[in-house]
Amino acid sequence: MPTWKKILIGFSLIAFFGAAAGYYLYNKKPADVRRLQPDLSVTANFLILAFNSDEAAANLKYLDKVIAVKGIIADIKIDSSTGQASVILDSGDPLSAVTCSFYNDEIGAVQKLSKGTEVVIKGKCTGKLMDVVLNNCSIIQ
Amino acid sequence: MIIAVVFFLLQPSFAQKRYFTKTGTVSFRAGTAVEDIDGLNKSATCVFDASSGDIQFAILIKGFEFKSALMMEHFNENYMESDKFSKSIFKGKIINLDKINFLKDGTYPVKVKGILEIHGVKKEVETNGQFKVLGETVIAIAEFEIVLEDYAIAVPSLVKDKISKTARIKVNCSNSILK
Repeated sequence: MPTWKKILIGFSLIAFFGAAAGYYLYNKKPADVRRLQPDLSVTANFLILAFNSDEAAANLKYLDKVIAVKGIIADIKIDSSTGQASVILDSGDPLSAVTCSFYNDEIGAVQKLSKGTEVVIKGKCTGKLMDVVLNNCSIIQ
Repeated sequence: MIIAVVFFLLQPSFAQKRYFTKTGTVSFRAGTAVEDIDGLNKSATCVFDASSGDIQFAILIKGFEFKSALMMEHFNENYMESDKFSKSIFKGKIINLDKINFLKDGTYPVKVKGILEIHGVKKEVETNGQFKVLGETVIAIAEFEIVLEDYAIAVPSLVKDKISKTARIKVNCSNSILK
């Protein structure tokens, strides 16, 4: 095969794989947090204490990380029409709790929980408004 | 701002009725015919006072969920710079408070006016919405548009046919009476 043809085929293959990789990355969904190991494990009390005492330091440590939080369930909110389920964990601080927002298909698991029981929830920390908010949550204990 | 919300909630209440949620939804669409761009935030806080008409919304920018990982990354890192500007806040007043009867179930048109802060930029806005009163729950619903440029959100010319110049924002917060 003449050299120029080899080069052309070489280029075409690179271009094809480049495009395929690009297409894959472009359409890739965000990682399923349920499949990820938590980076850190804390109690709800400890998490709120960390954010209340030094929010900047707490953000560095917890923001965007997958964390497992253990706490007592203060409230459960389920909206069957939208599939939205959230659990609020008590933190010992009356003004700040840990709000855990679940994947839509975890609603069945959330429905089995009851207030006042201890639970461990895994999710991605998105920061603190009044509460420290975890997204993409699932129950691990 | 958090101090303001906390202070607001700690005000002594006599005949005052305050409504609140931590799990409200705020979604936006900024796509075009070429591409869908949709983000959903399920942990908006909303608090309003039925006597004074004061109303506030707050969301964490990193709380928006997307179908595509790349879209979420670009949204946070390039457009919203969420490491620098982690929250978006609306602080305002219900200006037609007298038209809403919180004691009678029904759907009431609402007009709010206040300051909307996105990407570190504050702008005065006025918009219409609805309050659906169902016993001790008030669902706050609104839909409005923002011009991305107004909030210093830059869209590179390379993607200008994929990303709209405006974003359509929908708010749906189910607020309960704060006892």
